[in-house]
This record gives sequence, structure tokens and C-alpha cells, in this order.
Amino acid sequence: MPGADKETDLTERIEAFLADLKRGGSGTGPLRGSGEMARETTYLLRRITAQARWSSAGDLMEIIRNEGRRMTAAQPSETTVGNMVRRVLKIIREEYARSRGSSEETEQQESLHKLLTAGELSEENFRQHFVHLKANVIEAINELLTELDGTTDNIAMQALEHIHSNEVIMTVGRSRTVEAFLKDAARKRKFHVIVAECAPFCQGHEMATGLSKVGIETTVIADAAIFAVMSRVNKVIIGTQTVLANGGLRAVNGTHSVALAARHHSTPLIICAPMFKLSPQFPNEEDTFHKFVSPHEVLPFTAGEILSKVNVHCPVFDYVPPELITLFISNIGGNAPSYIYRLMSELYHPEDHKL
Amino acid sequence: MEARMIPVIRSLDTIGPSMLLCSLLPCSGETILGLRESLKWATDCLTEVDSSVAVSSGGELFLRFISLTSLEHQDLSRCKKVMEERGELFLEKISLSRTKVAKLCHTFIKDGAKILTHSSSRVVLRVLEKAAAEKKRFTVYVTESQPDTAGKQMADALRRLNVPVTVVLDAAVGYVLEKVDLVIVGAEGVVESGGIINKIGTYQMAVCSKAHNKPFYVVAESFKFVRLYPLNQQDVPDRFKYKADTLRTVSDLSDEHPMIDYTPPSLITLLFTDLGVLTPSAVSDELIKLYL
Repeated sequence: MPGADKETDLTERIEAFLADLKRGGSGTGPLRGSGEMARETTYLLRRITAQARWSSAGDLMEIIRNEGRRMTAAQPSETTVGNMVRRVLKIIREEYARSRGSSEETEQQESLHKLLTAGELSEENFRQHFVHLKANVIEAINELLTELDGTTDNIAMQALEHIHSNEVIMTVGRSRTVEAFLKDAARKRKFHVIVAECAPFCQGHEMATGLSKVGIETTVIADAAIFAVMSRVNKVIIGTQTVLANGGLRAVNGTHSVALAARHHSTPLIICAPMFKLSPQFPNEEDTFHKFVSPHEVLPFTAGEILSKVNVHCPVFDYVPPELITLFISNIGGNAPSYIYRLMSELYHPEDHKL
Repeated sequence: MEARMIPVIRSLDTIGPSMLLCSLLPCSGETILGLRESLKWATDCLTEVDSSVAVSSGGELFLRFISLTSLEHQDLSRCKKVMEERGELFLEKISLSRTKVAKLCHTFIKDGAKILTHSSSRVVLRVLEKAAAEKKRFTVYVTESQPDTAGKQMADALRRLNVPVTVVLDAAVGYVLEKVDLVIVGAEGVVESGGIINKIGTYQMAVCSKAHNKPFYVVAESFKFVRLYPLNQQDVPDRFKYKADTLRTVSDLSDEHPMIDYTPPSLITLLFTDLGVLTPSAVSDELIKLYL
């Protein structure tokens, strides 16, 4: 029967995605970019909306929430997956509110105003059925996908405002967004880039190769030299894995040292991060994660005797507090770290913060 | 009316003023203006007995939504009925707010944490109760908090929960901070800048936490948000700093000890309210949403 086929096809795809997530996280091999992950997740969610069986918005949200929980459990360090799930949940809420005809403002966040003027302690249960809800939700998800496709370009377009001629820019490791940003500025300006290699994965080397291919003067330095060189740097531009709810970052190992060195020399620290990296987690919360990978990058197994006498760790991420950050450049423009709470309230609904 | 006020004054829960104001509604004047006047008078009476920021902010919030209601309903008796209903709802929501705050905050207390708190706060107590109920093991240091040694009450309440607690001198905050993982305090009022007004000694604790790089968390319900913007300790009005009878009896205040101080937002890491977890910069946004 065609119906059953669709169902099994859908569950197969979900299982394949979950397996991919679990596999992709282990090891230091070619990591898939977050942009790709975000796009894949959104495609999958669109498929679920189109093919799964649901009669009201509440059912759909339940299904998506369950799948979202499984996906984030498969790979907790891949926060973009959870972020996309929350975006889609917000889309569903908005479309539902629009179908009901109520203005979008009223349904949203808690506020002092709502505390005083709202009617009964309303429990919105999303049980009403609307004919066009499915089509509207799918259309909105398509808009989300177009937005995702354009993020790197949107960020790169802002490069000329921030990079001036004869400047010395420092960056750390490898970020696709920062690479596009710098390449865009290089079309019209001449500047010098210093790349910190970012041991032990040394992705800085690939970054430097990529930049020098378009004619940007690049220098690679060891991580230990960051402070020494910082006095000659005009700006530090880096990417990040996640932007946390307080405006802090979860970025690649070594970023905190760069941030402290920049603060010491009063050098502006600019983060290029698309909006899908914004996550409603706080840094000291209960279920925050950290990721450790195989320590053979730090101390190879060939080292012999010493391995039984020492503990070797190889953490992947670093936390950077919001006080050290000057500016966030995202696809919707430049923002200060203290403004992050506002962007979060626009992207996600508070009830979805815990999936 | 006086008679009804006395039992409220004795307990002076922050919910007290709202309850009083609610009970006033049936017997007030025939016009909206009359109603406003009598409610203003009631709030003034309350603040005269024991000035506190929460009383003033709760009272103002309540007055505020009268003006909101009067815009919607032309007929006075309908208006009063709606106000009574909303008043009941307001009280219900306020009593739930402490639970909401506790639910948000307890996840920031990790197993084995050492917590420092100041004086006695019911919200902080509720947060710690929730954390203890989630089977987390933690120890608490409470400052004694002179001149009323309220810290001892907090310590007793915590001992009843089987939480290991130590009472420390107010002067020992700097000494104890190296052992501590996080600092949680309550607030009597949250001001527009995102700073807080709380028992004297809180500012000191905040400055020391900043110096030691320890997170400084504030837990407060949303009705404590108040429309003040102090730039320094001087800017906080005298009616909050000193007890009401001190203000009445003493002519020269320079010899008196203030009961509260102001902690600027730069020293606060996060605020936990029933509106969610807020960074200090988000507080003014919330206030604007209400007052505009």
C-alpha cells in the first residue's frame, strides 16, 4: 500500500540520519559543516511534516519534538540540529496562530503585561484542525531553507564595512564563514591575515592555503605565539560552533586564550556566526556537554612507557564569556553580545527551550 | 478599612499589598478616579508602616492595570468586576511564580556545589528546596546579615531540609569566596538597568564575586521589577533605605544605617525570574513591554 511505503520510507530516512549523526561525531575526520547539518535537518523535518500522519498542530509538534529529542541525543555536540527543530516548532506555532486569526503578539512570550491582562490561565493546546495548516507550514519551512542557503553570502556581504586596507586580521583554526568573509573583502581591499594553526587538529593550515589561493597575504603561527603577535593585530575575526543564550561562545579549543589576549590589547573580537548557531543553552546548566576526542593527537600511542603514567585529554571545545566579545556578525546584521537575548526570543519560543 | 489593614501589615508578605488592594475594590468610589485615589492611599499607608521596594512595585503594578482595564470597559460596575477577576488571577500567578523560578534555577546547581547566599530570601530557599528534592548534594554558606541577623533564620530553614549549612560573618565573604562555586541571592527589587536592590551587604558580595570570577545569580519574581534607575548608592530613595519609623522619628539620617543597597548590572551574571532566565540587559526590555 502506498501509505505504508511512505511511512517506512520516512522512518528509514530518520534512522539513516540518526546513524549519520552518531558516526559523524566520533573522531577527528572531515567534520561536516554546521550549515550542512542544519540544511539536512530542515529537509528531514519538512519531510516529516509532509509524510507523517497528523491531524492537528499539537500532534505535529509532538512528533517533531520526539524526533528532535532523538536527534539531539544521538549527537549532543551538534547543536544546530536542536536549533532547527526549535525553529520549525516556532513556525508551527506561528502558522497555527495565524490560522486561528489571533494576532501573533498575544500568543508569544510571558511578560509582565501578560501577567496582568491575560484572561484565564490559558493552556493553548493546539488541538484545532485547519485545512491549510500543512501547506502553510511547508511553505514557511521552504522560506527557512532559502534563508539557510543564503547565510554565508549574507555574512560575506558585510565584510567591506569591517575590514579596511592595510589591516592585520587574526583568525583561529578554520571556519567556512570566516573564509568566505575574508575572501569577499579581498576582492576590493588589500590586507594581511595571521592564522593561528590551532593545535592539535591544525585546521589553520587548510585555512591559510585557502586564503592564499585568492591572493591574501597569510601568515601561519603556532598557538603559543598568539599573545606575542597580538600587539600588531588590528582585529580578531573568528567563527564558532555555537552561540549560547547569554552571548557567550562554545568555540574550538584555544579561542578563550585568543579572546583574553585580544582583551589585554584592547583589540576588537568579531564573531562571524549565522543565526542557526544560536542555541538557548546556558554555559553552567545541568546538561551542558563537553566533547573529548582521542588523545593520540596530543600524545601519540607510539610514545610508549609514558602513556601508563599520565592522563591525556583532548577537549574539542572552549567557552568564551560574553564580556570578551565585541560584535557578532550574522546573516541579519551586526549585534552586540548583550542583544542576544532579543534575537533568541525572536527565533525560539520559551517552551521549546527544553525539547 | 483600617481594621482590615492590620492583619495584613503584621505578615507583610509581598503578596499582602495585592490582597489588600483586592479587598478594597468592592467598597471604593463611583468613579475610576475615585478608585485610583483610594488604592493610592492604601499603598501609601502600607509603605508608611514598613517601606519596602516590593510593596511599592507590587502596588504600582496593580495600579497600572487599573488604567489598562478602564480603557477597555466603559461601564464602571463591569470594570470593577473584571478588575476583581484579574486581581484574583494576578494573585494566583504570583503564588506560582516562585515555583517557576525554582524550576529554572535548580539546573544551575550541580552535584557537589558550594553555594553562598546572603541573608534570608524565600525565593532562594525555594530554589534550594527544589535542588535538594532533585537529590543534589550541596553545601550552603549564609551570611549572618546584621543588623537583624536574618541569616540565622535561613540557616535554620536549610537545616530542616538536611542541607549542610554554615553561617558566616558578613565580613567573612571575601574569605569564604575562594571555596564557593556560585553565589545566589534574592532581590527586594529589580531596577530598570538590570541591577538589584537587596539587603545591605549584597553589593559587597557582588564585587567580591566579580573579583574571584564566580557567577553571581539573582532570583526574583517578576512583580519586583520597579521603575527606578539609580546610578549609584545615593540615588536609591531614602524611603527604601530606612525603616518607615526611622524616617519619621530621626531628623538627621547621616547617623542611621541603611537597610538596603544597590548592586549594578555589570556585577550580575544572570537573573532568574518567572519570565525566564534573563541577562541584565533584558530586564529593561521587559519593563518597557509593560509600561509602554
